[in-house]
Amino acid sequence: MDPSKIEFLGEKQLVNIVPNFNLDIIYLISGSVGPFRAGLPVKVPIWLAVSLKQKQKCRIINQEWMNIESLNDRKEMEKMSKLFTEMPSNHYIDESQILLNVANDDIPDADRIRTSVKDIWDIRMSKLRTSVDAFVKSEGVHARLDHLTAMEINSIRPLLPHALDQMLRIQSANMGEINSQYSGKK
Amino acid sequence: MEESLEDESLLDDNGEAELTAQTALQEIENAWMNETFAPEILPHQSDLVDCMLQQIAHMEENVKRLDKNDLRALVHRMELDRIRYVISSYLRTRLEKIERYTIHILSEEENRNPDEEPYLTPDELRFAKEYLANLETLFKTVALQHMPPNFQQFEVNKFTVKPNVQAHVFLRANQRITGVVVPGTLNEEIDFEEGSQHIIQYSAVAHLVKSGAVQLI
Repeated sequence: MDPSKIEFLGEKQLVNIVPNFNLDIIYLISGSVGPFRAGLPVKVPIWLAVSLKQKQKCRIINQEWMNIESLNDRKEMEKMSKLFTEMPSNHYIDESQILLNVANDDIPDADRIRTSVKDIWDIRMSKLRTSVDAFVKSEGVHARLDHLTAMEINSIRPLLPHALDQMLRIQSANMGEINSQYSGKK
Repeated sequence: MEESLEDESLLDDNGEAELTAQTALQEIENAWMNETFAPEILPHQSDLVDCMLQQIAHMEENVKRLDKNDLRALVHRMELDRIRYVISSYLRTRLEKIERYTIHILSEEENRNPDEEPYLTPDELRFAKEYLANLETLFKTVALQHMPPNFQQFEVNKFTVKPNVQAHVFLRANQRITGVVVPGTLNEEIDFEEGSQHIIQYSAVAHLVKSGAVQLI
């Protein structure tokens, strides 16, 4: 699947903004947003926050987990743990990318946050590659992938599923050969 | 006083309608993901699609009444575009599958128990049949009629492309599920905890995808 589709799904997550206009509740199909009061924080989906920000109608407040201390803690935890640790959001990488790109000026320490998130992503991706390698070599047929986020899963698609599909084909071809040899001897 | 009461009841109405529309939207997004990742075509969700299209039409009527530069109109239009994208992507994915597996899908539909709900909507079924007919005409006019007589037959079963239901898929369990038989093993079973994520052969979980017990991701 195209990464932009994952991003599309990630844009449904909510984020706090501070609007600079007044507006009553908007009854959207996906749920109502507002009321908007100038200067008061309100939760809206990211796609809406981005568009308001681009029209300079709001200031975006950082997601709670997007601060440098907690990210560095997470980074250390991710390094220590053999398994994947739970991320604050199933779309942490795309979410932070979108918000940092569009609201660079609203988010203090934006560059360090970006680096930190990227570090976490790198650690997790290298962990992922190692475990995929081990999993394929162990000829497993099922694996549990808890705490892997949407973008991470998408990054090993189509490689991992296809590799497993091919292994299965080779296996069943071998089986077929053995069976036919067997029946041949009979 | 009267006016404020009216306002409130209006709000209530809206609140209720919104709840169902919201769930319908979530469900169609789930169906979209499932359809994207499942190798075979899944039972159609035309109820959801129709419901959403109605919502969109209704909302468009409302938005028309707003001033063009009204911020609300803008926000509504953005949301409508997003929803329309999901619906068309969902329907397009199904059409792609129908084009790829036409013969297989048609024979599945034919052999389905009449008590069971068909997987294709009447429109999709018509599309599949016409597609097959056009394919046959194309083959005949372009190639087959110029072949020696004993090769002129359009052999449907040789054209059949079947989806690989043994393909591996990623999924999240919506509820606790016990006793999923691991394919290729002798009765080896695994359990899915609620909310856990897995990679496994599609054939092992196809029935769970269709019943909504797991979500493909």
